[in-house]
Amino acid sequence: MRTSSLSQPTVNKVLIANRGEIAVRIIRACREMDLATVAVYSECDRTALHVQSADEAYAIGPSAPRESYLQIERVVAAARASGADAVHPGYGFLAENEDFAAAVRAAGLTFIGPTPEAVALMGSKTEARAAAIRAGVPIVPGTEAPIDVNSPEGEVDRIARDIGYPLLVKAVAGGGGKGMRTVVDPGELHTAIRAARSEASAAFGDAAVYLERRISRPRHVEVQLLADHHGTVLPFVERECSIQRRHQKVVEETPSPAVSAATRAAMTSAAAAVARAVGYTNAGTIEFLLDDDGGFYFLEMNTRLQVEHPITEMVTGVDLVRWQIRIARGERLDLDPARVLTPMGHAIECRIYAEDPDNQFLPSPGRIQQLRVPSGPGIRDDSGAAAGLDVPIFYDPMISKLIAWAEDRPSAIARMRRALSEYVVSGIKTTLPFFRWLLDQPEFRTGQFHTTYLDQVLKERNGLPFVEASPLQEDLAAVAAALNVTLSPGSIAAAPGGTRLAAPDRWKERARAEALR
Amino acid sequence: MRYELEVNGRRRRVNVHRVNGRFAVVLDDQTWFVDAARVDAQTLSLVTTPEGGAVPGGGASHTTVLTPASGGLLTVQVAGAAVTVALNGRRRLAAVGDSGLKSGPQRLLAPMPGKVVRVLVQAGDVVRSRQPIVVIEAMKMENELRSARDGRIAELPVRNGQSVEAGVLLAVIGDS
Repeated sequence: MRTSSLSQPTVNKVLIANRGEIAVRIIRACREMDLATVAVYSECDRTALHVQSADEAYAIGPSAPRESYLQIERVVAAARASGADAVHPGYGFLAENEDFAAAVRAAGLTFIGPTPEAVALMGSKTEARAAAIRAGVPIVPGTEAPIDVNSPEGEVDRIARDIGYPLLVKAVAGGGGKGMRTVVDPGELHTAIRAARSEASAAFGDAAVYLERRISRPRHVEVQLLADHHGTVLPFVERECSIQRRHQKVVEETPSPAVSAATRAAMTSAAAAVARAVGYTNAGTIEFLLDDDGGFYFLEMNTRLQVEHPITEMVTGVDLVRWQIRIARGERLDLDPARVLTPMGHAIECRIYAEDPDNQFLPSPGRIQQLRVPSGPGIRDDSGAAAGLDVPIFYDPMISKLIAWAEDRPSAIARMRRALSEYVVSGIKTTLPFFRWLLDQPEFRTGQFHTTYLDQVLKERNGLPFVEASPLQEDLAAVAAALNVTLSPGSIAAAPGGTRLAAPDRWKERARAEALR
Repeated sequence: MRYELEVNGRRRRVNVHRVNGRFAVVLDDQTWFVDAARVDAQTLSLVTTPEGGAVPGGGASHTTVLTPASGGLLTVQVAGAAVTVALNGRRRLAAVGDSGLKSGPQRLLAPMPGKVVRVLVQAGDVVRSRQPIVVIEAMKMENELRSARDGRIAELPVRNGQSVEAGVLLAVIGDS
């Protein structure tokens, strides 16, 4: 239970310690609850959508995150100066930083999220696994401590046999795939350990490695939770997040096409058990690996609102940000547990990024010239972008999250395809052509994919471009380009009687557009 | 009005005539009858009818978005596909470094903060389109940055081992 000098935590004026689409999302929830909103912004975000949407805005430093959005003191100072009584951290930046949560609490403000203690606990991989074990939840089989270099080889063989093959040798200090080796044949174990240790030592300055079972063809399936300060923990229907490029999620959906009712019941109970075991409060998500036998293993817990939360909102009708605020105020969760476990329809999310899919998905920053966002039945677009605004180079180059909801999975896919065809962005490159291709892939349509699927099919494409115009489209482009010169801006189609329209202004306009680049 | 275009790198000839309130656009040896209307500064709506079509005043509807790109080029989006067009007809648009149908020099900038781990060329080298120039390590991954054009390394300020912020100039690829 949180302790505070206030008898009842108040949330009347919220400072959003974030930017982009999530800051806009949080501001919208606050507006709907008649709460005042305070934005913070870095230099390059002065005209960003979240600054335009908030009631008040405070500058917090130069564009680089470590000089602005990661500056704990400056954010807290802005909260004090504005008279905000609550802070929402969003996701990323300081959202899972226990020092930030503690600083907010120490300043007498309401933190719209879990306690600093919960953030610290679940942020440690080994502590989180220990909590899962205490809760009786299966974890990915592995060693709890690093392999002792002085152990006889036979002892290490025995440990490895208990874990089971195939297995991974992983660096304790590791990340990014370095210091990692897959072992399929037990005879290769010691060679792999030596190689991994050597790489880990070079990359991280720490040669310690541990062993973990390698789940074949795993799926990444996660469970959203809400927990109040009165002991109620509510798990939600799972999210399927296996479509990943280099470990980054690009498409999420709910419910998972691979999860049966029985697995859902077991997995969501397990997630709730872990949250209860650590006395978790507010919103959080437990990530599992699902193997192809329907077995699941605890992977980690995210102590924040997640990027993909909208798909859960679409199939349950629950506003998660609104509930985060209500829980922070001390209100009781009064949702029907069965309702939030039973999805209505199917929802899919595509994360639209300003990246060039024909150039290794490298960021494509710059000014958005045109932005035409799809709408109509079952379409939701959560965005921080607008035409005329820049996609800055300093942060995740997200344009928007495009979400499609429909009565069932095939209809949701058709709806997403329709929405993707309506989406127009000009001035920068985006991943839209990549998503149009992905939604057509047979494995996506049948729901038969796992976490390495996307990297595999992208590799198989071998750099084949996603942006490929047909001869008809090239012809039309030529016709349009020529007619574009003939028609000056603001004029309508050819005047009758064959009068030639002069078009000198086009050149001035283009020259001006060039000068802006 | 005659134009010489380069469409996705291929030279095309276009001749535009006005005919009874519409346009007859001769593209190479094919004629398009087009009703063209401007939607906004960057968008044209085209309704195309076959020559002598049975239902005049109606036809296929195509919305095209035309956005200026670097080097005097135009990016034309048609039904989600993007086409690069260079306009070099009787009305020439002078662009920086423009010498006819080639695009301007390419300034290769660091797309994100990171560390230069390999410089694959030297100043003066002749390079081809899509040839890797520099490798930057960022976000725990190695990213190859490639040339977007054929040309020659005109400037190479980047240094191996250099830490770069986003937007830092790494190389300039000019005409060979």
